[in-house]
Amino acid sequence: MPASLIPQPDPAALPGPPWLFHVLWLVTFFLHLLFVNTVLGGSLLALAAGGAGAGRLALRRLLLGMNSWAISGAITLGIAPLLFTQVLLGRFFYSATIHWAWPWFSMLGLLTVGYYLNYLGKRALAAGRERVGMLALEAACFVGVALIQVTIHLLHMQPGRWEAVAASGRAALGDPTFVPRALHFLLAAVGVTAAAVALWAARWSREPEPVRKGIAGFGVRVALAAAALQVVDGVWLLLAVPREVLRAFMRGGAATMLPLTLGILLALGLVAVLSLVRDPLGRPRLLRHAVELAVAAIAVMVLTRHQLREFYLAAARAGEDLAVQPQWDVFTLFLVTFLVCVGLTVWALHRAATDRPAPGEPTA
Amino acid sequence: MDYPIWDLAMGGGVLIGIVAIAHVVVSHFAVGGGIVIALAETLAVGRRDRAMRDLAKRSSWMLVLVSTVFGAISGVGIWVTIGLVAPAATSALIHTYVWGWATEWAFFVLEVAMALAMVATWEKVRPRTHLWLSWLYAFAAFASLVIIQGILAFMLTPGRWLQTRSFWDGFFNPSYLPGLALRTGVCLLLAGVYMTLAALREPDPASRARLVRWLAGVEVVGALVAYGGYRWWEAALPETVRAAFAGGKALLPALAATRSLALWALAAVLAFAVLAAIAPRTQRWPVAAVALLAAFAVLGGYERLREGARKPFVIRDHMFSSGLLVSDIAALNETGVLARAGWATVGLPDTPEGRGRAVFRAQCASCHTVDGYLGIRQLTAGADPDMLNGILMTMKGMGDAYIDAQAKGQPVDTRTLDYPLMPPLVGSDEEVEALVAYLQSLKAAAPSPTTVGAAMEVPRAR
Repeated sequence: MPASLIPQPDPAALPGPPWLFHVLWLVTFFLHLLFVNTVLGGSLLALAAGGAGAGRLALRRLLLGMNSWAISGAITLGIAPLLFTQVLLGRFFYSATIHWAWPWFSMLGLLTVGYYLNYLGKRALAAGRERVGMLALEAACFVGVALIQVTIHLLHMQPGRWEAVAASGRAALGDPTFVPRALHFLLAAVGVTAAAVALWAARWSREPEPVRKGIAGFGVRVALAAAALQVVDGVWLLLAVPREVLRAFMRGGAATMLPLTLGILLALGLVAVLSLVRDPLGRPRLLRHAVELAVAAIAVMVLTRHQLREFYLAAARAGEDLAVQPQWDVFTLFLVTFLVCVGLTVWALHRAATDRPAPGEPTA
Repeated sequence: MDYPIWDLAMGGGVLIGIVAIAHVVVSHFAVGGGIVIALAETLAVGRRDRAMRDLAKRSSWMLVLVSTVFGAISGVGIWVTIGLVAPAATSALIHTYVWGWATEWAFFVLEVAMALAMVATWEKVRPRTHLWLSWLYAFAAFASLVIIQGILAFMLTPGRWLQTRSFWDGFFNPSYLPGLALRTGVCLLLAGVYMTLAALREPDPASRARLVRWLAGVEVVGALVAYGGYRWWEAALPETVRAAFAGGKALLPALAATRSLALWALAAVLAFAVLAAIAPRTQRWPVAAVALLAAFAVLGGYERLREGARKPFVIRDHMFSSGLLVSDIAALNETGVLARAGWATVGLPDTPEGRGRAVFRAQCASCHTVDGYLGIRQLTAGADPDMLNGILMTMKGMGDAYIDAQAKGQPVDTRTLDYPLMPPLVGSDEEVEALVAYLQSLKAAAPSPTTVGAAMEVPRAR
């Protein structure tokens, strides 16, 4: 593809050093991903909750209730990484979305439908009706959003594919890493949510024991299967990455190989820990370690994904010289506002969770 | 200009308008609703007023469903849409205001968390704790408006930013405070009329009348603040901007009609509110629903005015709606526009008509479609080649006025231009001739898939 088809960098200077945007991007993307995994994994597990036996209803109640918060969290926390992506790589990101404009735009509809279906499903469940069709549609909406995100991610870092996609939108799905990447995403979401659900049943749930046992056993089985498949899929993904990108990544030394190795070890560790769980209700500590390992693996994979993108885009960004004019005063305002808002959020949620009036005392 | 182009039959501006109007209505209700619900709850706790407390509770549910669900998604929707339709402008705004947006996002995190907590804790926590949640929500929602207004107003009146490129000069621009006052009034207005609908569900007639009267007071305050803010906003606009829609000879009559609609709708809401205050027992849901529609018309009309008055710019005196920078006019006249707009030429034949189509896609397609919204085939149907050439060369000549004005460090008085609402045409004389050839080829073709114009269809972004 002629280099002239890659838009020029924005003529305006960056309002802060690139490293700062990279750090903020990574941190906020990781937080966003935690909620995304909950939403995606939660909606799929709610659909498949029949596997929890006696715990089916309680599991669906838990997941639908959790998602009414998690969907808001995922959307709200997705705004920040979207901002920082545009600052650093706007010309690649916008181009990719324009080439696949209608699917990208349709994501808004899928999110809206999925979100309201979650509320409707929750309400139906409270009235004693399990609407499996509704749950299936909700899960399909969120899987659809995930696939669109994977496609745009792959497209924005490969300008060489843009002309083919401009000629035919189907070409957007033709990347050899598309299937393993999408699987990587889905398996991570299902696995971490299943492990968290098992931990909840073993440690915090007040449901009767058969219910807790059903949920915890189901959670462990699903998390173990997802983690084992993730190891296989990870190898597939690695082998599907274009050779020159993989070679450059491998030559990155400790900076790239350390996180990748750590990620693989964490995944193997997760499989090992989950396979040790024979009696889920009796081993909450093991389940806690499983959740910790899964979250750590996600954090490391966020870094590896970010690094891999740099290698994908290296040729297209060769010679890129971005002017920097930091707006430190406005950045300080952001930082102070952010810390105050997070502080207020934590304080208020803690107060709301712990303030319980005595019997006879007025309530809100 | 060097970005790929989304060929959207309905026109990109229309799509932005649909998403943006839906979002602003919801987001303004979220701000106003937050304040009025917190006020209602405070009164309810102080006076032990069950009806007022029920009103706050009922309204908070709607707040969550429209604010944290639809509001959040449509807010992201604006990003998605403007990134697709006007990527260069989006990038320019991001580079200038990313920390402003990040600050607004921090408030939004607090806002969403408090909205969800507020709804989840009715009847579960002490009244005082719940009041904290409600007031924190109201504070965060209003603070996000305070931030976002700076960026919205900047696009219409960038003020000293044009010289200094300073964040604060752009943020505290001439229409910032007037617009903030106007929006605050509209927020209260929307909350008042919506909550009146919620109040009508109160079963006790005396309590219902009391709630309706109280909300009518909120609406009256909102309407007066909005009207004052609107007048202040108009007065703060430079004469060249105001000329687009105000005064005896508006440049854009449709915009002048929109202004009348918005102001009459405001008067109607005020009248409904006064009626409700005087005779609250006569209030019924059809009347409240009409008042709500009128309040939508006030906000929608103002947003349409603000967007329309910016023509032909997306950031006034800096970037045109076509993505062209004022500072790039001279260079593009020198090199030709197609040397920069690579995507506009992809898939097109190297003929005069093909090059003309590419020039159209690069410079006109941000506002015009071929046969849909502002369809160019119909608009140029009556023009012969000489007339078209004359019009386009005049439009190209307008670029000189912008170059001269920029050299003097002054904005162009758009009223003195032949086509004050259109960006100047840039490019070589050959490109202008090619555009004439393309526009002429549209005349020979009826708008059907077998026509010459359709035969020149380029690969579309899907």
